[in-house]
Parts: sequence; structure tokens; C-alpha cells
Amino acid sequence: MLGCYDFCGHYEWTFEWLRQQGGESLVREYWDEAIHRDSQRHAAALIAAKGIAGMKEYWGHTLADEGAGYYCAATSATFRIDMHECPSKGFLLRNVLRRYHDYCDHCMGWIGPLLKQCGWVVDHEHNHCGQCWWELRRADDPTPPSESGKMSGTHDVRQRADWLPPHGTMDVYERANNPDDKTTRKAD
Amino acid sequence: MPSSAKPLPYTDTKLVGAADFYYAINATFRFVLKKSGIEGLRRYWTDLGAGYFAPVMVRWRTGGLPAVAAYWRAFFAAEPGAEVEVHQSSDVVTLDVKVCPAIKHLRAHGREIVPCFCQHCYFVGEAMVAPAGLTVRVEGGNGSCRQTFLRHHIVSAPQDLALIKEAAC
Repeated sequence: MLGCYDFCGHYEWTFEWLRQQGGESLVREYWDEAIHRDSQRHAAALIAAKGIAGMKEYWGHTLADEGAGYYCAATSATFRIDMHECPSKGFLLRNVLRRYHDYCDHCMGWIGPLLKQCGWVVDHEHNHCGQCWWELRRADDPTPPSESGKMSGTHDVRQRADWLPPHGTMDVYERANNPDDKTTRKAD
Repeated sequence: MPSSAKPLPYTDTKLVGAADFYYAINATFRFVLKKSGIEGLRRYWTDLGAGYFAPVMVRWRTGGLPAVAAYWRAFFAAEPGAEVEVHQSSDVVTLDVKVCPAIKHLRAHGREIVPCFCQHCYFVGEAMVAPAGLTVRVEGGNGSCRQTFLRHHIVSAPQDLALIKEAAC
């Protein structure tokens, strides 16, 4: 039986299996069709119906269930997550599991299209070490991402000493909804 | 305890998994079935059993049936809502799955379950045990089943897939 305890392990393995079957486009299709539109359809329903209140409801429940170390902050126009200990990437790092080239892309792979459908865009950075931040705004809101500490104070993940890992790479998304709409830069 | 003696090859900080991940497992089967048909889905399960679960297979090859029993005891202890008895004798390990945690959660939340969902326990399991000289037989499904792990040479007939029930909400 496939279990949920080590789900992130066989989920990550599946990305590479799909890539070998049908290339990166099949992996993107999987994130959108199987994860966004099927598995996580309850998230789409909540966010479409309630906006930021739905985001609080969805991520408050799911991240707690997964054992994440995170902080959420919101205004009337913006929802922000600071992820300090991603339970998903953390499981892979802890168990030295890396088959697909960039596991972290899967979040934007299903959340990006979901938010696009609901009329939201994403500013997001992840450091491939289990830390990331997200700011979600209405697509017609031109406000840029908040300065470090402005929305989440000392909980802002960008204030961590290890936010920019030596020899690591940072993936940066600006007002994006597509997992490939990113720039990658060296962290040091 | 040396790492090779641990029944599960992976560790986590939480005691049990997040049950909503069963949604993604079910959705993944539906996606692969739609894209590649039933043979493609069975190939995915077999590749997963032989690939991702290779560290489990290594434990079973060296530890035999006691390692199989230890794995499943630890496995189901970490699956929320599972009610499973694991019995071991000299020749056989039997999983008496009284409540399948995946079917229970999917059904409780009104998710449409891929009808062949329960076949994955055979195809993944068989790929995991074959290198250890073992085989698995599955009977039942759709919420409860019996899975029997035994030495390959004492089984004459292949798995009868008709003995695995279709799953339904």
C-alpha cells in the first residue's frame, strides 16, 4: 500500500517517472490536473468562495496537519506565508531523496494555476532548503511584494541567517502563476 | 538501532501522516490511468515498487519474513485511521486490513475513488517482494482486505485480479 506518512517521497519519485514518460509538460499537466483540479479541489473551492479568508482556512489546516513550521499574515488585500520548515521538502532532505531536479516547483505547479483561476497572482521565493515565502494579491493589484519584516515582523523568513544558503540557488517568482515563470539566481 | 534494522527506511518528525495526501494518491492513479491506460498504471505501480521502495526491498531480502512483518507494523502505525492486524508464522505474513485508512478517508470526504485503486497493493507489493524470493496475494478490497506475503516457491497460481474488489465511494 502507498501511505501518506512518506507521501512526499513517492510524490517526488512520481515527478521524475512522469518526466521520463512524457517530458516536463506531462509533469506540469499532472500538477494542474491531478493536484490542483482533483486532489486539492477543496482548496480551490475555499479560495474561490472566500478569498483571503479561504486561504487562512485552507493553509491553516493543511500546514498544521503536515507539521510545518510556518507563519501566516494577512491584510485586507494580501495573504503571506513565511515557511521556515517545509514539511514536504524537509522530509526529502532528511531522507536524502532527490530524483526530480526541482521538487519545490510543484507548489507553484498547482497553486499558481489555482490562484490564476481565482484572479490572484503570486510573488514567491524559495531557497531549496525548506524555506520560502509567498505573497498573494489580486491580479489587478499592482502593489509590489512587502519589504522584509513589513508584514510578518521577525517571522519573516528573509531575516533568517540561513535564508541565502552558500552555493545554493534561489528561485524567484514575480506576479506569477506558472511554475516555469521564474528566475533562478545564485544565493551567494 | 542501526539504520538497516529500522523497519521503515525513512524518518519524519511527525508521528502519523496527513490523511489528505490520500486525495493525491487517488488523483495520481486517476491521472496515470487517463493518460496511459490500465497497463500504464500497472507499470507505474510496478516501477514504484521496484524503484522508490528499493530500500524496503533490501531490508526484506536480508531480513526475510520477520522484516516484512516489522515493516507493515510500523507502516500502519503511521497511517491515520488504519486498523490492521499483522500475523507472522514461519512461512507467511498476513495483513488483516480491517479498516483501510485510504479508502476510509476518501469515502468519508466524498471523493470518487478510482475503481482499480485496491490493485495497487498487489502490483506495488509484488514488485517490492519479488527480489526477496517472496510473493504477495491480495483478496478483498474496497475498505478491508487480506494480504498474504509468502515464499514464492510454495505458490502455484498467479494472483487472481478478480479477487481484488473494485473500490467505490
